[in-house]
Amino acid sequence: MRWLLLVATLIGSSICGREKFLGDQVFRINVRNGDEISKLSWLVNSDNFKLNVWKSPSTFGRPVDVLVPSVSVQSVKSFLASQGLEYSVTIEDLQALLDNEDEEMQQNEGQERSGSDFNYGAYHSLEAIYHEMDSIATDFPDLASRVKIGCSFEKRPMYVLKIASDYQKDPALTSILEKMDIFLLPVANPDGYVYTQTHNRMWRKTRSFNPGSPCVGTDPNRNWNASFAGQGTSANPCSEVYHGPHANSEVEVKSVVDFIQNHGNFKCFIDLHSYSQLLMYPYGYTVKKARDADELDEVAQRAAKALASVSGTEYQVGPTCTTVYPASGSSIDWAYDNGIKYAFTFELRDTGHYGFLLPANQIIPTAEETWLGLKTIMEHVRDHLY
Amino acid sequence: MLLLLAQEAVALAVPAGAGGPVDAGLGRGLLQQAAQAALHFFNFRAGSPSALRVLASVQEGRAWVNPEKGCKVELVFSTERYNPQKGEEHLGKCSAQVFFKNQKPRPAINVTCTRLTEKKKRQQEDYLLYKQMKQLKNPLDVVSIPDSHGHIDPSLRPMWDLAFLGSSYVMWEKTTQFSRYNLAQLSSVKQWKTHEGAIDFDYTVLLHEFSTQEIIPCRIHLVWYPGKPLKVKYICQELQTPEGSGTEEGSAVAPAQLSNF
Repeated sequence: MRWLLLVATLIGSSICGREKFLGDQVFRINVRNGDEISKLSWLVNSDNFKLNVWKSPSTFGRPVDVLVPSVSVQSVKSFLASQGLEYSVTIEDLQALLDNEDEEMQQNEGQERSGSDFNYGAYHSLEAIYHEMDSIATDFPDLASRVKIGCSFEKRPMYVLKIASDYQKDPALTSILEKMDIFLLPVANPDGYVYTQTHNRMWRKTRSFNPGSPCVGTDPNRNWNASFAGQGTSANPCSEVYHGPHANSEVEVKSVVDFIQNHGNFKCFIDLHSYSQLLMYPYGYTVKKARDADELDEVAQRAAKALASVSGTEYQVGPTCTTVYPASGSSIDWAYDNGIKYAFTFELRDTGHYGFLLPANQIIPTAEETWLGLKTIMEHVRDHLY
Repeated sequence: MLLLLAQEAVALAVPAGAGGPVDAGLGRGLLQQAAQAALHFFNFRAGSPSALRVLASVQEGRAWVNPEKGCKVELVFSTERYNPQKGEEHLGKCSAQVFFKNQKPRPAINVTCTRLTEKKKRQQEDYLLYKQMKQLKNPLDVVSIPDSHGHIDPSLRPMWDLAFLGSSYVMWEKTTQFSRYNLAQLSSVKQWKTHEGAIDFDYTVLLHEFSTQEIIPCRIHLVWYPGKPLKVKYICQELQTPEGSGTEEGSAVAPAQLSNF
């Protein structure tokens, strides 16, 4: 990338008045001896071809890079062939290359929040995410604040972004924020997240020690106090769905439980996971139908439809237990049984092609469609406060 | 007097294009399970890394559960190309019968799919892949495809497709009524060579099992030549239990091309 920027400045400085490089090519010509150098010099200095030397050799045996305007390409090739000069075409169309670079830079520009250089279309370290949260709170102190709700097992902070009012740009969001605050916890398992970047990309659980076992971690989505240790969990610390020694044993879970209970007025709880493209509601711990299942299903169907309207991404909707599998001790089951009626789980893109390893170029499209789904749910909550 | 054992049949019918009412205990989950198993089996039998299919959506299905014998599923589903080509909208359609023997893996499968790519074109594309693979210089230092951020180098895509083909066999064999597999990552290449013209590929993948959320490393060794039956051997590492870890292995040679392809 940096090489191309350098190229752009070289062109800018050496060729005045040329703006388009359509069909212009760059030839890399080998010069093996003094005789070949003089032949090449003749070619370059000749007015006919309008060549431009990018890189001249300091010693024999090093190639010369020459910019050849499209009109001269054929004649230069003939000349080189007739003189026995060896060459290769390293850039076949300079304009195409520059256009590509432009596009990429524009794309990256569109992906940054103005005023910061955080690229929303890329994956980031935990520090970078926390830093951006802090930036948002600093840049928009009237709208957002960063709140620490606890610490992880390895003592990393757990930060929530509280969005309490907005800057009047989106009418739907404005009306939601008139009635409710939104709390966003981007990283619910900071230790696990860091571990996926430092040791094992497939790590799922927390990183807490299990006394007496060589295996580390508890599944934070089996650790909630909702039919704890029931169906769809394991008592084996080596299992990916190990429920932990007791409910809320994981500080990451306890921090969220305490935060919600101390607040006392949460109306909606949404848990984002990957992958499978599903939108689910309670219960996971039983096939018994939740009291509000019909309403939750209706909302979820509308949310899935709104989500699909962006890029055609299809989500399936249903209660956890029969849509995926029985799972006890899950966050939304706890939330629901503790008075938060609107409790949903999203399993984001994709359906298994990349699975957990979703390419970065799908981050923003995923976010854009998911936002519409979230908005649908939040609008419904706004209109049905209880 | 004949004593007829009543076969407990819980029939679940899903009308095309919509989510119908769901029977207690079963659900879309089972139909997805069956579709996935049928596709793994289909891909393995087709033996064609350039013609891999993935599940688009289940259109209709019925299931019968016999608590002693197992579970039989009949279904119709649509498929997409694993490697979507720009501008190509090839939605294929398959109908399948899947029989999950009680709690046991290796479901019995009968699957027919509409002819998606003409046999000749498929052979040409396979041969092209084969040539690309033979050009690969020293893929032995390849680690992790895709990388942590989901990126696959285009030059390594043919290798990934071949790895997926071999993995399809393993995933079919391991599937049960309750466990479903996806290929998470190609984690290492032990050996990559040609032997009598065929590609001899020894590698390790990570499979992701859905209900247990386990990540299972499997060592797979396959031999492939375009148009010839695929030969596969594998050994998978199972969950660490207090009693010790176990392994599961299997091998096969795919039968010659069937007429319904």
